[in-house]
This record gives sequence, structure tokens and C-alpha cells, in this order.
Amino acid sequence: MDPKLTEVSQYFERFKAACVREDIDTSANLLSQLKVLLTSFRSLPPLFEVTPNAVQELTIARDIYEHAVLLSVKMGDQDAFERDFFQLKPYYTDARKRLPRSPQEHMILGLNLLRLLVQNRIAEFHTELELLPAESLEDPCIKHAVELEQSFMEGAYNRVLTAKQTVPNQSYDYFMDLLAKTVRDEIAGCSEKAYDFLSINDARQMLLFSSDNELLKYINEEHPEWEIKDGSVIFQKAKETAPCKEIPSLQLINQTLSYARELERIV
Amino acid sequence: MKETPAPVAASSNSATSAAHLKEIASLIETGAYAREVRRIARAIRLTMALRRKLKTSVVSAFLNFALTPGSEPHARLSSYLPKEDDHEMEVDTATSVVQAPVKHSLPELEIFSYLLVLIFLIDQKKYSEAKACSSASIARLKNINRRTVDVLASRLYFYYSLSYEHTGDLAEIRGNLLALHQIATLRHDELGQETLLNLLLRNYLHYNLYDQAEKLRSKAPRFEAHSNQQFCRYLFYLGKIRTIQLEYTDAKESLLQAARKAPIAALGFRIQCTKWAVIVRLLLGEIPERTVFMQKGMETALRPYFELTNAVRIGDLELFKSVAEKFSATFSVDRTHNLIVRLRHNVIRTGLRNISISYSRISLADVAKKLRLDSPNPVADAESIVSKAIRDGAIDATIDHAKGWMVSKETGDIYSTNEPQMAFNSRIAFCLNMHNEAVRALRFPPNSHKEKEIAEKRRERQQQEQELAKHIAEEDDDEF
Repeated sequence: MDPKLTEVSQYFERFKAACVREDIDTSANLLSQLKVLLTSFRSLPPLFEVTPNAVQELTIARDIYEHAVLLSVKMGDQDAFERDFFQLKPYYTDARKRLPRSPQEHMILGLNLLRLLVQNRIAEFHTELELLPAESLEDPCIKHAVELEQSFMEGAYNRVLTAKQTVPNQSYDYFMDLLAKTVRDEIAGCSEKAYDFLSINDARQMLLFSSDNELLKYINEEHPEWEIKDGSVIFQKAKETAPCKEIPSLQLINQTLSYARELERIV
Repeated sequence: MKETPAPVAASSNSATSAAHLKEIASLIETGAYAREVRRIARAIRLTMALRRKLKTSVVSAFLNFALTPGSEPHARLSSYLPKEDDHEMEVDTATSVVQAPVKHSLPELEIFSYLLVLIFLIDQKKYSEAKACSSASIARLKNINRRTVDVLASRLYFYYSLSYEHTGDLAEIRGNLLALHQIATLRHDELGQETLLNLLLRNYLHYNLYDQAEKLRSKAPRFEAHSNQQFCRYLFYLGKIRTIQLEYTDAKESLLQAARKAPIAALGFRIQCTKWAVIVRLLLGEIPERTVFMQKGMETALRPYFELTNAVRIGDLELFKSVAEKFSATFSVDRTHNLIVRLRHNVIRTGLRNISISYSRISLADVAKKLRLDSPNPVADAESIVSKAIRDGAIDATIDHAKGWMVSKETGDIYSTNEPQMAFNSRIAFCLNMHNEAVRALRFPPNSHKEKEIAEKRRERQQQEQELAKHIAEEDDDEF
């Protein structure tokens, strides 16, 4: 085998061992060294040259990036995740014909979709979804993300929270926790508009706190305008937006001026 | 006995086609000499009309006429044509008028012959030869830099892409198309730029690469459209990109405009535009009218979408699911499957809206039952869905959690708000826009003010003016 390839494989083995040990620092170091070594291979994107060792090089590079992505999830670093995922993507799309399918492909794609959902980048979520062929949508990891997005859009937040139990993979937990926090904020926002008041018990159940104190702390920090009286939370419905009877004069003036200008042009 | 009339009839047909082609060739020549792009555009239009009647003999006869036989382009082009042996044709073509050797071998004529051969091959479904021919023509085009060739060149690009698309190799030519676009921009060839941009967008959209398509589209230089067809295509691709990116209002505008501007004959294109427009309108929450689906020639194609609209209008999830399953094949072919999945949310919203309008107070359990949400915990689901709908402003109501019901609010008087004024404003803006575009689209024949009046015409004109003056004078007299 090519000496460079052997070197890379050895480093890769050490990297994998460090990941399993949950040794974040060594893994990160080894990863940067591996990335530097990978630049010497000419068969990788963006060059995609055809060399005798192309398939092995591509496979090793892809495995390295997959592990990098999983590592970034463990570190909780979303930017690193994005970077590594973008580097991994050409291996899935352009090099599809040259390599056999990776077993972790769907899991990683599902992770990416989940990340976009958590960051509220729904347009990119859908664009990514379009790129997937129809049969990928049957895969449990991807299906999980898609159903999650649907429940989120519809507003069935309790479904979102129960989905937390049915994660296909350990690494999803990090994003699910972030999602839970977003969901809680959303529920609070909806409840504000939908209910006049809620008893403390109900509020606690809805917002998924385990004790009244946590609930009170949350309200104090995030929603100071809610009042707490007689064991119930009253949302500020009293300050209803007084139907503003004022005429939006500036807008009207602009519109009328534009009509006059256009009419002038019609000669 | 039947033999002789048939070849005669066929040969007379081919004779007229050949004659037409010769006319077209002379039109191109005059256009090239006078540097009038209009004539060449007209030549192309006439060729398109002739498409059906093209046969190998006609094409080879034309090649003999237009290009010096034995020259390199002629040899290359003839090699693409399939060899047919129709002896009776030989006699006729041999006796056709021997024209004076006017073989300046204009580049325009050469490119036109390439175009003709390419169209012929594609109509005959010989896609691999078409591919080879088009690649050769593109290579030839790179050396010619004349504005008069631009119209022909843009057609060539289109057929180049089409031949590759039919053989399924679109990804190969992406690099070439980008390079051609660059060259067209450098040469200020606006029609070529437009055509190539559309071809590139089509290329990316074919492979679902919406992200890259949008990046290209946002950076490419934009200018006034030269060709109506290209503008329609551009609007359609833009609408598709915007739909996927969840910008439904822009998408709706583009798609509807594309469907409206398209020529009546382009039925397939209009059907596609209408399909996407229907889905975008559903996603925006408005229900398209029945007349949209009943347009001439589109009824069968739009049937699945009609049933879908029905399901959304009623707000019934079960019906929606069954329709989606029933027509899933059609939807996958149209690539609208993912969009249909997004519609589920709209179905629920519409159902909720109907319930909220009809009931002043209704228990959440009943809401869940009416919406037919199939989930393990319908009441809790229904509650969260209703609260989100209230937050988004889709319905006007409050929830009473303790007693578990939803109370709708009274709807106020719309006329006392600004709504009618907004609606009026948008319509007025639209009409004014249309008027401005129509004025800008007015075209006058370019040299009409330079034409010298022939004596006869002048006399005529003077006569008319005299008559008019007399008429006015008479009228004035009548007044008194």
C-alpha cells in the first residue's frame, strides 16, 4: 500500500480510539493532523483525479470526515459540524458512483436536517430534502427528522417532545435537547396569545417543568410581563391593542402621489 | 400504378420544402449583408414552420445548395445525415434549377445548416448523432463573433442542451454552458446570455440542485428580456426555486406571470406552470377557482390537482391522505411530492378556520375529532395546534384550559379597516405596471424614419392631406 495511505490509516485508528474514549482534546488534535495529511491525496475533491488508490483514499477520507462530524456533535460545536458536513457532502453526492454506500450516510444526513431545524433554517431544510432521492425518505433517521419538522410546523409540540424518546441514534440527543428549549419558548409564546390565564399546575405541565420553582424562575427571566395571582398565571390580555383609528396618512399620501405620477405619463 | 403518383406527390412536397428552404437561405443572406437581425429571426420562424416536412433528401439538397459540396463543413454535416436510398428523388433533385455559384459560404449560412441538421436529427429521435452534431457546432461557434449569428447561436445552444438531456447526460455539459455564458457576456450577446442562463438553470433544476441554481441566478447580470419565450422560461424556473425556498408570494407571482405570458400553443409548458401555481396558492392558504382547472386541454392533466384542492378546501385530513396516495405516481413524476407533504399543515389550518367560524364555542375533544387527527393523544395535540394557529393569526379565538374548550371571537367590520384600500392599491399598481410594460414593448421598424419617400407615395400622401384639410374646412363651414 502507499506509504502515505498507511500513515493516514494509522492516525485514523488512533483517532477512532480517542473518540471512543471520549478524549476530546486528543481527538481534535489528531483530526487536524489527519486533515493536513489528506491534502496530499490527489484523488479527493475538488480534484477527483483518477489514481490507482482512488477508491481506498476516498473511502478513508469519507470515514474520517464522518467521524469528524460525530466528534463535533459530542463537542457541541455547531460551526465545526457545518464545516465538516460541507466537506463530507461531495463524497455523498459527486463521488456516489465511485464508492460503495456508507452505512452511516443516512444517519449523518438526518443529523444535518435536525441541525437545520434547530437553527430554524427551514428554507435550507427543504432544499436539502429535495436533494434526497425518494427511497432515502423511507429511512428511519431521515423520516424522524421530516416528521419532526411537520409536527413543529403544525404546532403539535407535545409530539415533538415525545419524539425525543424515539431517537434512532445516541448522537441525536444533543440536538433534541436544543429543540426542547426552542419548543418551550414556542409553547410559551402561543400560550400567551391563546389563553387568558392558566393555573400554575397547568402552566407547569405545559412548559414541562418539574417543579413550581423552576416555572417561576422561567417566568421571571423570560416573561416578566406575566402576572402571578391566586395560584394562576395571567397573561397580559388587558392591554389589548386599541383599534388604532388613526389614518396611515404617510402611506396614503405616497400612494396617491404615485397614482398621479403614473396618470401623468399616460398621455 | 400507385407508385408513380406517390413519389410525385412526395417529391412535389419535398420540392416545395426545398424551395422554402432556399427562400429562407436567401433571407438569411440579405439579413447578414444588411446587418439586420430581424430578418434572420424571421428566417428562423419560417424554418420552425417547416419542421414537419423535413426529410433527408430535402436536407441534403439544401446542404448542396448552401455549402460548397466537398468543403469541410459540408462533408461533416452530410456525415450526420442517415443515408437513404430513394432513387426517384435523385432524378428530381438533379433536375432542379442549377443556381449560379453564389457560394460565399457565409458563416450565417453554415450555422444555419448546422441548425437545420440538428433539428432534423432531433425530430427523428437520433439523439446520439444529434449530440455529436451539436458539440461540433458549438466548437465552430466559438470562432465566429458576429451579432447576426447570435440569433442562430442561441437556438443552437438550446438544441445542444436538449440533445444531451434526451440522452441523460446533462451534467456533462454544465462546464461548457458556463464557459459559453461567460463568452456571451463578454461579447454583449444578450440573447445568448438569456438563453444560456435558462439552460443552466434547467440543468441545475433537473438534478434538484436548487441551492446552486439560486446562487447562479442571483449573481448573473439581469437585463430587459429580448425573447418572450426565454422570459417565460426564466419566470418558471425562478418560481420553482422560490417555492422550494418557502417564498410563496414571489413564487406565485412568477408562476402566474409565466403561465399568462406563454403562447397558447405551448400547452405542456402552461400545464406545468399551472400545476406549480396551484400548489403554491394552496400553500399560501388560498383556494384556486374551479375555472383554473377547466381550461381547454388541461383537464385530464390537472385532475389530480383538482382533487387535491378539493381535499384542502374541505379541510379533511383523511381525504387529503387518500388523494395524496392515489395520485402519488403523478406527483413524483412532477417532482411536487415534497410540496404536497407540506400541504398537510394547510389542510389542518383550513379545517380549523372552518370550525372556528362555524362554532362560537366548541370543546377541544370535538375539535380533535372533527380534524381527524390520527395521533395517540388527540386532545393535547389539538390544543397545541389551536394555540399555534391563534398565535399565527389564522383564527381569532381563545382557549379555556380548565374547561377544555375553544371560544371564537366576533369578527369585526372589514370596511372600517384598511383592507379594502390595500386591495385596491395592489390592483391599481398591477394595472399601471402592465401599461408601462406594454408601452415599453412597443416596437417600431428600425429604419422607417430614414426611408426616402418614392415620388408616388409622396403624391398619395399629399393628396390625402389635401382631402383631410378640405374635410376639416367643410366641417368648420357647417358649424356656421
